[in-house]
Amino acid sequence: MPQPAPTADDLALLDPDGRFRGRLAEDRARIAALVRPSPAKAQLAELQRVVHQLAGAAGTFGFAEIGDLAVALDDALLAGVDSTDTAPLFHDLLAALARA
Amino acid sequence: MNFELGDAARDALARSESRSDSALQARILVVEDDADISALLGRELRGLGHTVDAVRLAEDALQAARGNDYALMIIDLGLPDGDGLDLVREMRRRAIEVPILMLTARRKVEDRVIGLSSGADDYLVKPFAVPEVRARVSALLRRPSRLRGNRLAIANLVVDCDALEAVVEGVSLPLAFKQFQLLELLVRRKNHMTPKRMIEETLYGFDDEVSANSIEAHVSKLRRALRSAGAGATIETRRGIGYRLVGLGAAAPN
Repeated sequence: MPQPAPTADDLALLDPDGRFRGRLAEDRARIAALVRPSPAKAQLAELQRVVHQLAGAAGTFGFAEIGDLAVALDDALLAGVDSTDTAPLFHDLLAALARA
Repeated sequence: MNFELGDAARDALARSESRSDSALQARILVVEDDADISALLGRELRGLGHTVDAVRLAEDALQAARGNDYALMIIDLGLPDGDGLDLVREMRRRAIEVPILMLTARRKVEDRVIGLSSGADDYLVKPFAVPEVRARVSALLRRPSRLRGNRLAIANLVVDCDALEAVVEGVSLPLAFKQFQLLELLVRRKNHMTPKRMIEETLYGFDDEVSANSIEAHVSKLRRALRSAGAGATIETRRGIGYRLVGLGAAAPN
């Protein structure tokens, strides 16, 4: 069973300069700024891009919880799920990003 | 660690990584627009002794592939200037037969099937475990070169070993079967001297009668065919040793 977050040893190997952790903070700010009840097309596309990249990268760097939430959101956005239904997932993702 | 390996897997990986075969110190192209993933792959592969070139655009990847002889490419599916699948197809269309490991966040079985059908040799879904990437890279680099592809190329000459056809800029060369076999051998060994004995063994069976100058005759006809088609490659002769196919720019002066 994967741990929800990487250990210090994992981070020393996977993210020795802390660059990825810095990116998580930037992604959190970006997502928080883009999430809207009815986002414009360009905003939605940018949101999808950020979430999709997070879905691929977070788990690779050991952030399993963030990765799993991003994967679920990526699938939901790709399927065109309504923003009302994706709101709880965004809430959980932003909370997980804040803890990272 | 999130991706835990059992003892057996760890031992197998250590054995694979310590093996001193030709898989070590390969030149690898990483095509990935996520800077963090690209940096992670570069760090891991360099740590194994490989030389790594990293680009983030499909266009840059094609340019890099033209100018370098890579042993492996790792290509992400979603690139800013196009689909990684199209890049793989274009690589194969240009007879670039380097093993390709596709990397993607697309998780559906049909996505993996499409990736492999487009010409990729292996497929890894993100998020991935670093030890798995290392193992897959080692496995792809260990493949015998003979299995790596049936479309071979040198300069503007493309040899399709399945279609038994040699083409220069869209025009098929009129070759007899033995000449085609000779060309395939020389292209597979391009830039290396091919001994006459090796050519005889490739072209003739034990019971075939081989006349004294039959190899010379095939080489002569093949050389003529290449020249009249405008091929950017030529066959050099090293008297008493054998033959070598080289690009025209690299040919030794006669």
